[in-house]
Amino acid sequence: MNLTIKNLRVTYVSNEHRLLALDRVNLELTPGKVIALVGESGSGKTTLGKAVMGLLPDYARVKGSVSLESLELLSLPAPEMNKLRWSRISMLFQNGAESLNPVYRILDQVAEPLIQKQGFSRKDAGLQAQKALEQTGLDPGLGSRFPHEVSGGEMQRCLLAMALIMSPEIIILDEPTASLDAMNKTLIRQVILGAKNKGQAVLVITHDLDLARDTADEAVVLYLGQVMEVLPAVELFLAPRHPYTLALARSYPALDTHRDLGGIRGDAFYRTVHRHREENGNIRFHSHLIGPDQEHEHCHATPGGCLFVDRCTQALPECREKEIAIQETDGYELRCLRGGIATLLRLKSISKSYAGKTALHPVDLELKAGEIFCLVGESGSGKTTLAMIGAALLKQDSGSRIYSNRNMDQWIRQDYLSLAGKIGLVHQHPAQAVSHRFSVFEIISEPLKIQGYYSRQEILEKVLSALKDVHLSTEPEFLSRYPHELNMGALQRICIARALVTGPSLLIADEPTSSLDPSVQAKVLKMILDLQIEKGLTMLFVTHDIGLARKIGDRMGVMLAGRMVESGPAAQILNKSAHPYTRLLINGSGSQVHDGPVSLKAGRDRGCPFVSRCGWKRDLCVNDNPETRQTSQGDHFVRCHFPLN
Amino acid sequence: MHLNAAKRLARDPWFIAGAGISGLIILFLASSPLLVVHDPHDMDFIPFSPPSAEHWLGVNDGGMDIFSELMAGMKNTLHFGLLTGLVCLIIGACAGLFSAWFRGIPDLIIMRLSDVFLAVPAVMVLILVAAFFRPSPFYLALVLAALSWPTIAKVIRAQTLVVKAGMHIHSSRQMGASGLYVIRRHLMPELYPLYLIGFVSKARMAMFMEVSLSFLGLLDPGRKSLGMMINYALRYYYLDIWWSWLLPPVICLTLLIMGVTFLALSLEKIFDPRLKEIM
Amino acid sequence: MRRTGPGPHILAYALAALVMVYASYLLPRMLPGDFVSAMYSSSHVTLSAAQEQELRSYYTGRDGFVWYLKDLVTFEWGYSYAFLSPISRLILQALPWTLLLMGSAHILSMVAGFFAGVEAAWRRGSTTEKSGVGLMTVLQGIPEIGTGVILLMVFAFYLGWFPAAGGETAYAEFSGLERATDILKHLALPFTTLFLAYLPGNFLLTRAGMAMILKKQYLETARAKGLPPMRVRYAHAARNALLPMVTRFGLRIAFMVTGALIIETIYSYPGLGTLLFNAISQRDLPLVQGIVLFSSLAILLINLALESAYGFLDPRVRYAS
Repeated sequence: MNLTIKNLRVTYVSNEHRLLALDRVNLELTPGKVIALVGESGSGKTTLGKAVMGLLPDYARVKGSVSLESLELLSLPAPEMNKLRWSRISMLFQNGAESLNPVYRILDQVAEPLIQKQGFSRKDAGLQAQKALEQTGLDPGLGSRFPHEVSGGEMQRCLLAMALIMSPEIIILDEPTASLDAMNKTLIRQVILGAKNKGQAVLVITHDLDLARDTADEAVVLYLGQVMEVLPAVELFLAPRHPYTLALARSYPALDTHRDLGGIRGDAFYRTVHRHREENGNIRFHSHLIGPDQEHEHCHATPGGCLFVDRCTQALPECREKEIAIQETDGYELRCLRGGIATLLRLKSISKSYAGKTALHPVDLELKAGEIFCLVGESGSGKTTLAMIGAALLKQDSGSRIYSNRNMDQWIRQDYLSLAGKIGLVHQHPAQAVSHRFSVFEIISEPLKIQGYYSRQEILEKVLSALKDVHLSTEPEFLSRYPHELNMGALQRICIARALVTGPSLLIADEPTSSLDPSVQAKVLKMILDLQIEKGLTMLFVTHDIGLARKIGDRMGVMLAGRMVESGPAAQILNKSAHPYTRLLINGSGSQVHDGPVSLKAGRDRGCPFVSRCGWKRDLCVNDNPETRQTSQGDHFVRCHFPLN
Repeated sequence: MHLNAAKRLARDPWFIAGAGISGLIILFLASSPLLVVHDPHDMDFIPFSPPSAEHWLGVNDGGMDIFSELMAGMKNTLHFGLLTGLVCLIIGACAGLFSAWFRGIPDLIIMRLSDVFLAVPAVMVLILVAAFFRPSPFYLALVLAALSWPTIAKVIRAQTLVVKAGMHIHSSRQMGASGLYVIRRHLMPELYPLYLIGFVSKARMAMFMEVSLSFLGLLDPGRKSLGMMINYALRYYYLDIWWSWLLPPVICLTLLIMGVTFLALSLEKIFDPRLKEIM
Repeated sequence: MRRTGPGPHILAYALAALVMVYASYLLPRMLPGDFVSAMYSSSHVTLSAAQEQELRSYYTGRDGFVWYLKDLVTFEWGYSYAFLSPISRLILQALPWTLLLMGSAHILSMVAGFFAGVEAAWRRGSTTEKSGVGLMTVLQGIPEIGTGVILLMVFAFYLGWFPAAGGETAYAEFSGLERATDILKHLALPFTTLFLAYLPGNFLLTRAGMAMILKKQYLETARAKGLPPMRVRYAHAARNALLPMVTRFGLRIAFMVTGALIIETIYSYPGLGTLLFNAISQRDLPLVQGIVLFSSLAILLINLALESAYGFLDPRVRYAS
């Protein structure tokens, strides 16, 4: 009953090269388990399905083991393999439109396995097939039609009925919801869960992360034939650990994250392995990544290295060289040299006071590489202060700052310049952020000049490149303009260019679009987001507009009166917010709220700061300041005595 | 794409074979002034003479030199085929283009007409006309072309429709190009392969027809033809004419048809995308 | 009754039939000069004045297309002075022989070509397939006149294994099995010629069709279903390869007739082909006309039948109900 895949390696061999489609993949399907095989096209997902069925073409070389209980499928003689096809393992292929023979009726084709393999009579098989078709919700008369006479959704149901007709132990579905409307997708979900309940095992091959999350127990993330991560399916959007999984989740138009599509930087490659005879006669294999039009656009000279390295937002030089094995930790698997998404910036127990007023009670903040973190709050909530401390502009009273595993305070003391080059800062008011004496060129080149080791040529190149990034003119005429000659939108772009010119990995933006015209806001915002993806930046985005946070944030933190009252994945906070203040922000002017001034009054350190406006307050709240506690869903934290979820 | 295709064509074994054979034949025929020593219609020679230095294949029952007959016959067959192919192509291409370009009523009419023409068995009509009117081969070729154009027309029409829907046509139109310009600069180049294929296949069919008709005695007996030669030679099967009279026209005919067949085959293979990967 | 099939519309066939009949009605009347004197001009037949008069009146007197049609339907096709027999009788006598020859050649070459093509395509890329395709392509280049003449000369004249002419030994009083064997012996060479002429086309067409089908998704489904390999090959793949073969057959049939004509003539096989040849050499124009019209209508009928068969074979082109 168990399907065990061990070290499966599939290579497609042609005259010129060998295409490595699957590289030592391990997978285990047990009865009643649903595994989602997730990845983009070219990741090898379909190859896996076909390998299990024994349907790979002649030019595929297969190594490793695929075993059903103790039966090794890869070495099974053809007639035996043929016998267990469909009766023990069945598959629903991609692109269902052409999956049925156009000259036979649908019912006959659904009944065919029963007749041919189990010796059913035509009548009995027909009845069973009819039942199977009707169970998927099709009309009784549809079976007597021909394949070209039914719609795409109906065809998919027919194929499903056919795949399940012999009640196989294992069902492989290859992109079952591609180009299907919502109603049909629900049906697919039901079928999968139904099979699961019956004790069948399902392998869902898909790039539809929604489907994976809703139906699967486990998600296996595949990239260019290698397993990158294995995680519980529900955590696909909420807590991915591999940078690729995060990137996938961000690119996916899931209905409830509200985020705009991100995309993944770089192009998809195919990985081929070339034979190479060296001088000493050895044969070596070199992995090459071939670009989308099959040209040898990008060559990897070394055979090792992470496959995702060119598109990763947190790649280190070692990632390119070392052979990276997969690590297993209680139910999770991860293939990443850095142990998953690295934390770029960690602020722990940061507190700050100005002239007796506490701006920040101890606050924690963690920024993961490649993500956008939105810091949301009213004015005076402390968000800007926290951001500035993170930017090394302000010093905290207590608490620690770690940037890329290195203590910032020490770093600042030892070599501030090198840290400065790694962090870019964009302020709210561009007009104030630049000197009116400086020309455009001088503004943008300033950070480089301060760094000190760039030649004139390099500076010019970088400035021009930065201007191109923000879609501004590179004409000499423009470079010599002065701020008063430019509008706000252009100025803010220049500030952004300046922030990025040293090639930082962290961009901190404090309300970068608030003081711009609405029409310009959207454009600049979009530009920032594109740059973030393209350059693999980590972003700390400060804003008072939770709607904006909804559109761009991966994770979010809500601040009130110097405290982080709620933090976690943006999707979760927006859907199941735990703190009443968050609810208020989301709903605009929520009910159960009393109008009242922001309680950042001196001495008001006792009791919950939201108490005067909270509609759910109880006696405890008045006197006792709540501590941060973790909610039931992992990464989601809240400071409230009685969280709302 | 066309340069690519031309290269692939040059490397295709069938094309090489077909072109080789056709080339040899043409060379052979072209050198006829140097080789043929006798007038094919000259009946002064001793009938049934065996092959000799004077008469490379001997003399037939009517006193005519077989070798000269052979050459003349091949030329006639070739001419017939090429003429029919050309006329058929012209009619078919014009009809197809016209039909696809203007659509609407003209399209409907032409298509219905082609259907009727397609249904009519061309051979039968040809036999009928040849038997009744005894026209010269020239007119027969025209009749045959007039009966065979529908297949070419349909193919050209289909491809024109495809090209017409392409973006570059729209851009050209948007720039203000006239219909004629678009046809000349954009459409025609896309259709060259189809012209070639159509011409070669129709020429092949026509050559086959010419031989058949002359064999059956439907063409002018005074006109030299391979079919007629075979017909006459067969009558004297009891004589020792196998090698010198019967076999040569058979072989020449076979080579001729084979050469053209291979050419047509390779052209179709290279230029028809659907067949490409198969062959 | 909208049809989506590949061939001409049923109306086109009806029109074509009408055109043929009308043309055959018109043609004699279109001959320049005197029709009657043109007839039999190169034959040994000399007509008496009375016969001439009868002929003339036959062709000019009973004017009217409708009369002509009526005559056709009632098998009043005229009289052949060269063969001294009503034309209808001549045709109906020759017909069974032609059916025997062409029928057997077509059917057997289709069956052989089909199975060979299916098996060759299944072994794609192997030497068997490649050499098969090569051989068949070369064979396709050889016109049937060529094969016919060569077979005749080698097997009939030089080796004497088979008779060189006729459908059966003349004047022999065979019956039953003896007669059948005799007929088969006479049939052997013309049959082989035509078989070899038709085989390559069927083979190559089936093979090409199969090659395209083997890539189709539903073939993969059939394999995935764990069906017996033969079933996959024939019930699923080959079944779809039938369709193009049937279509091509319809389109080519008119040309196949010419070839059969010539072969009959070469072997003096007593079918419609030899009859036509003789009619032509005798300039028996009414007989020529009769044979041509008959054959044309037969061809049209066969094409029509094929169109319906196509609808049966491929549900995608069926008449919408």
